[in-house]
Amino acid sequence: MSSLDISSSCFNQETKLPLSPPLVEDSAFEPPGKDINEVEEKSKDIIKFTSEQLSVDEVSQLVISPFCGAISLFVGTTRNNFEGKKVISLEYEAYLPMAENEVRKICSDIRKKWPVKHIAVFHRLGLVPVSEASIIIAVSSAHRTASLEAVSYAIDTLKAKVPIWKKEMYEESSSWKRNKECFWATSD
Amino acid sequence: MVSRCQVEVLYFAESAEITGIRSETISVPQEIKALQLWNEIETRHPGLADIRNQVIFAVRQEYAELGHQLLLLQSGDEIAIIPPISGG
Repeated sequence: MSSLDISSSCFNQETKLPLSPPLVEDSAFEPPGKDINEVEEKSKDIIKFTSEQLSVDEVSQLVISPFCGAISLFVGTTRNNFEGKKVISLEYEAYLPMAENEVRKICSDIRKKWPVKHIAVFHRLGLVPVSEASIIIAVSSAHRTASLEAVSYAIDTLKAKVPIWKKEMYEESSSWKRNKECFWATSD
Repeated sequence: MVSRCQVEVLYFAESAEITGIRSETISVPQEIKALQLWNEIETRHPGLADIRNQVIFAVRQEYAELGHQLLLLQSGDEIAIIPPISGG
């Protein structure tokens, strides 16, 4: 697949953040006791932050495995309204190296809890038109329960811990949003 | 007398809007309580008082609450101001 470009246009570049490699793919889990007759496929965690439009097809293809009977997906999309106000557009920013590390921790936790094969977490950054996907999570597993539960855990934990921010722009104002799951600022 | 070091402070989301900058290098004691560090930063940017009850630090990319725990810092360390998150 083509790897990409955390486009510099969506960040303020005076930030001296070391931008992490845009696409990180590695083997997170080496299955023990390889049988010589068994061509075991390495498990992958695929994490990407991008200013490009997300594709459900692309992300679900990445986790396909002949060892798996299930792929579970979560697609988060941007809403067009908030408390009666019309949302014109949305903008996401992230603390990139840390956000990627936090997602990697989530992948690692998932592998301790469920027997899953591949995990893909893609998050959109920059300006996102209403109704487009802001996040896609895909997990494959031999049987459906593991990947269904893992996807649910992944989105809940991401909302609580991964340093990403969303600003909604309305017709006459704007607002930084707050996830109810955010662990240090649960109430006003 | 605790010696000082130069750390990089990163501002995100609302904190970047309030300060008008995304990052700056500041001189701080090598040993400092998280809350004292916040107070030093707030002195530089008084507008941050509005969000002090809602933010958390990330020190070398690990979360640290604005409490009384002692931070041991070295020059070059990265300290991010993390307002409430809204990813997903």
